[in-house]
Amino acid sequence: MNRARGSAYFYVYKTRILKSLAYRFDVYGNIVMQCITMFASAFFWKALYAGQETVQGVNVEDMLVYTVMSSLMSVVFMTGIERRVMQSVKKGTVATDMLKPINLFSIYFFEDLGNMTALIVQNMIPIFIIGSLCIAVPKPVSMEAFLLFFISLIMAFFINWFLAACFSMWTFTAINMDPMLQVKKHLIRLLSGSIIPMWFFPDWLSNILNLLPFVYIYQLPLDIYIGKYETAELLPRLGIQFIWTVVLFGVFQFLQSRVTKKVMVQGG
Amino acid sequence: MFKTIKHYGRVTLENLKMSILTTLEYPANMIGWLLSNPIQFLIGFATIQFVVAEFGTIAGWGYGQLAFLYGLSVISHALSMIFFVQGWFMGFYVIEGEFDRYLLRPMNVLYQFFFTGFNLIGITDLIPGICVFVYGCIQIEFEWSVYRVLAILALLIGATLIRGAIYLIIGTTSFFTKSVNDFGAYTQELFDKTTMYPLTMYPEGVQLVLTYLIPIGWVSFYPISELVGVANGRFAWQGAIWVTLGVGVLTFLVAALFFRWGLTKYESAGN
Repeated sequence: MNRARGSAYFYVYKTRILKSLAYRFDVYGNIVMQCITMFASAFFWKALYAGQETVQGVNVEDMLVYTVMSSLMSVVFMTGIERRVMQSVKKGTVATDMLKPINLFSIYFFEDLGNMTALIVQNMIPIFIIGSLCIAVPKPVSMEAFLLFFISLIMAFFINWFLAACFSMWTFTAINMDPMLQVKKHLIRLLSGSIIPMWFFPDWLSNILNLLPFVYIYQLPLDIYIGKYETAELLPRLGIQFIWTVVLFGVFQFLQSRVTKKVMVQGG
Repeated sequence: MFKTIKHYGRVTLENLKMSILTTLEYPANMIGWLLSNPIQFLIGFATIQFVVAEFGTIAGWGYGQLAFLYGLSVISHALSMIFFVQGWFMGFYVIEGEFDRYLLRPMNVLYQFFFTGFNLIGITDLIPGICVFVYGCIQIEFEWSVYRVLAILALLIGATLIRGAIYLIIGTTSFFTKSVNDFGAYTQELFDKTTMYPLTMYPEGVQLVLTYLIPIGWVSFYPISELVGVANGRFAWQGAIWVTLGVGVLTFLVAALFFRWGLTKYESAGN
């Protein structure tokens, strides 16, 4: 990447932060929504653990930390790319985006990065304060766990973004993606451990899910954070996470080279 | 009077026919939702069931009873989607000046708002709801009787009216704010978390609010806990099923009055 291009991406990133900061209602709405989910999960676990110490090697305090951290992480995993592509294909602005001398999907990536930066300030901090005061202070088990968590989180971010990007490619040929976006949203929400961790699922199911990329979005970083596994047990899991990151990157690159050739512009 | 009712009936039938035709025009859309909504609710329930099976019970509810609660809750959600989903999009109607059209026609505005189109996509929510409900009935060996069928019908009507009323009240605020804020996702999140789980897992303060201030407790928890005979907390009433029907009618009336008042503040913003 030469310097002029680098600064172009930085410009996209910066504009997106400023744009996100302007949408007040979305911000408050999102905090409210995250808090509803977070409080409901917290009370759900408290009610389940009434009269039980540990289940599957995890106690209620761990589960509350898990819940708060999951809400904080969801901020990092909000992607705008699907909707962005859908709208620009519908309106035809994708044509002007493609005329720009920089890579189309890199623009979308830096837009999402900008969004995320704004959300970290606007959403993550309030949710952290509310969660810490009302539910549990999300302390990691150790410094080492925190570092590993952070590495895993970065890979999780890329897995999530590549999945969203691959998904958005569909939009170039199919028109109404709303229901499909919902399918993806629900699959990630339910099968990634964002609300209910895999350990509570029957073995046959959690074994299958461990092979799919979803659990490497929420579950693995969270497991590391609450100290569910020994370091030796973690390394193979991090390995699978790394493999998924690379595989999805490959799929993304492959689809990207093919799909932009047959874009179907609606408006314009 | 009789003539008016007949007229409304005929228009409703005509609208329903149009809705069916419009829905059939876009089969891909319907198929998409037919995939999406069952996934959401069936996998959603399965994950809860796994956990509750692992722990035994939650707030005194076993997973069979929970399936019963979850299933009926999804069914009333589906019904409210079919009849009252417009409440979610009130902001768009206000901003686009859609009410101009309704105000010019010689029929009740609220009637037109809700029944000009039926959202048949809501049927895709009905399917997983019925599946989970039937599973729940089998699990708890629910004994059917004429009284119980009537009770379930009454509670579904009440629950659907409460949901519709709350959508309408939230939507009506758009007359005052004149903005397109889409509250749909937030409303659904709130309803999901409060009607699909036993209300008694929340602190008493929350239970109190959800019983008297925002009557969500009546949508599923109180009537169903009475029907399946599980503990239902301090704020439960005797005869909760019939109270639900009453609460439904009452909240809908309040919502309709609020809507009428809001409509007087309507200024056409479109065009």
